[in-house]
Amino acid sequence: MWFSKILSYLRLARAYIKLNWSMQMEYRGAFLSQALAMFLNNGTWLAFWLLFFNRFPVIKGWEQSDVVTLWAISAAGFGLGNAFCWNLHNLAAMISRGELDVWMLYPRALLPHLALGKMSATAIGDLAFGYFIYIVMVRPDLHHFLLFNALVVAVALVFIGFNLWRGSLAFYFGQAEVLSEQWFFAMITFSTYPNCLFDGWLKVVLYTLIPAGLVSGLPVEALRDFDIGAAAFTWLGALFVLASGAASFELGLRRYQSGNLLGMRS
Amino acid sequence: MKNSIRQIWAVAKVAARSNLAYIGEVASRTFFLAVILFIFLKLWQATYRESASSVLGGLTLKQMLWYLTVTEAIYMSAPRLAQQIDEDVRSGALAVRLLKPISYPLYCLSSALGERIVRFLANFATGAAVTFCLVGPFDCSPAAPLMLLVTVLLAFVLDGLGHLIIGLWAFWLEDTSGLLLIYTRLSMILGGMLIPMELFPDWLKSFVLFLPFPYLVWGPAHLFVHSNWLQFAQLLGCQFLYILLLLAIVKVIYGWALERISAHGG
Repeated sequence: MWFSKILSYLRLARAYIKLNWSMQMEYRGAFLSQALAMFLNNGTWLAFWLLFFNRFPVIKGWEQSDVVTLWAISAAGFGLGNAFCWNLHNLAAMISRGELDVWMLYPRALLPHLALGKMSATAIGDLAFGYFIYIVMVRPDLHHFLLFNALVVAVALVFIGFNLWRGSLAFYFGQAEVLSEQWFFAMITFSTYPNCLFDGWLKVVLYTLIPAGLVSGLPVEALRDFDIGAAAFTWLGALFVLASGAASFELGLRRYQSGNLLGMRS
Repeated sequence: MKNSIRQIWAVAKVAARSNLAYIGEVASRTFFLAVILFIFLKLWQATYRESASSVLGGLTLKQMLWYLTVTEAIYMSAPRLAQQIDEDVRSGALAVRLLKPISYPLYCLSSALGERIVRFLANFATGAAVTFCLVGPFDCSPAAPLMLLVTVLLAFVLDGLGHLIIGLWAFWLEDTSGLLLIYTRLSMILGGMLIPMELFPDWLKSFVLFLPFPYLVWGPAHLFVHSNWLQFAQLLGCQFLYILLLLAIVKVIYGWALERISAHGG
């Protein structure tokens, strides 16, 4: 029963990904330029860190390869999570404008349809960037590469769950776009700086309210020391963020009010 | 000449006033600016401690934080000038703008200038308050605010001309967002927004001095924390030189672009 249900949702995900991919390929030039732009954007930040570590080789035990790993895992995880679930990135705005109505007409649960409904070309650029720099600059062996893949999936789940957290705010506060955006900026900013810089109460915040520690902390430690324990904690944390995100969405959905908005998906 | 200055002043004033009406949007960025400055504090605190030095690149920790406050305020105040020109060209709104009794590039530049001054002042006030709370005041020379104001104004003109050149390429290119991204990222890294130019490797520093980017960000910010009349004069000279050069480029490109315009009534 459960197995067939999971299979059914996996088939749904495959159908959405195929459909969204063919839509992106209709505008191949625009898709490539957006992906490339994001590649370049991330490259600039990496250039900053290379300049920085060229001048100061070790900061609190972190070296250049650690910060490259950090950017690889955060870009690839963010890219994977958002490339296929781009609607969740704008969830607060969609809820405020009453745009969930059109997604409620489909069979099966609302959340998978809504999440998988839109693909992002820029997030695919992030995903490609993460893998590119990890393979070219870190040059991992097979074990590290496999662990990297597992952690990219975990980080993607963190971002999906986090998007559900911040997006669901709109169910409770109505207009929550600014708050959701600021929370997102905080998450992205803390996820792209070495976790070793933060301690005390901030460390607690980075593993709870702003779960950037599950992006820039544990996964980097796991890959640097090939620490399976740290990888397992990353996965546990990711599953918790995802489950609590889904729960806050489902609970909030009960308060949703239709916008009487006419919409059509073609 | 007198007429042009009057026109610039009138357009800039209107743009500044309309931006003052949206001061709430500017205030919403306060949180992001505070997060960024806090992370910079942690990063540079760790760097100074590990380097066992109280001065890096000629700056103390306090000066470094104040330097970064200015660079962030400059960077975050950038208006959507190139995108606006791109939209005007693509939508045909340019035909209406050409009817105004002021040349189109001058109109765009003046409007962007007015908008940017308001944004910069709001960002700087916020950033200064945050930095003051984080590290306290630094030994600021009485001439520093004046030097900052003059050089930042010229930096905005210079940056505005850079945006104009990119925006005008919309007459030939399908999309100028890629060019704009390259330009903004180059000014971010090579302009010294994240790391002062003194900490660049020597080969990069000597190369970057021949580009306009340091005079957009690094020059005004460095002068603010290290006020020096000779450097002030040098910076003004370089800014004027690049403004004249970019003005000539804008004139040539705009001349070519005008030949491609065909407007119909309706």
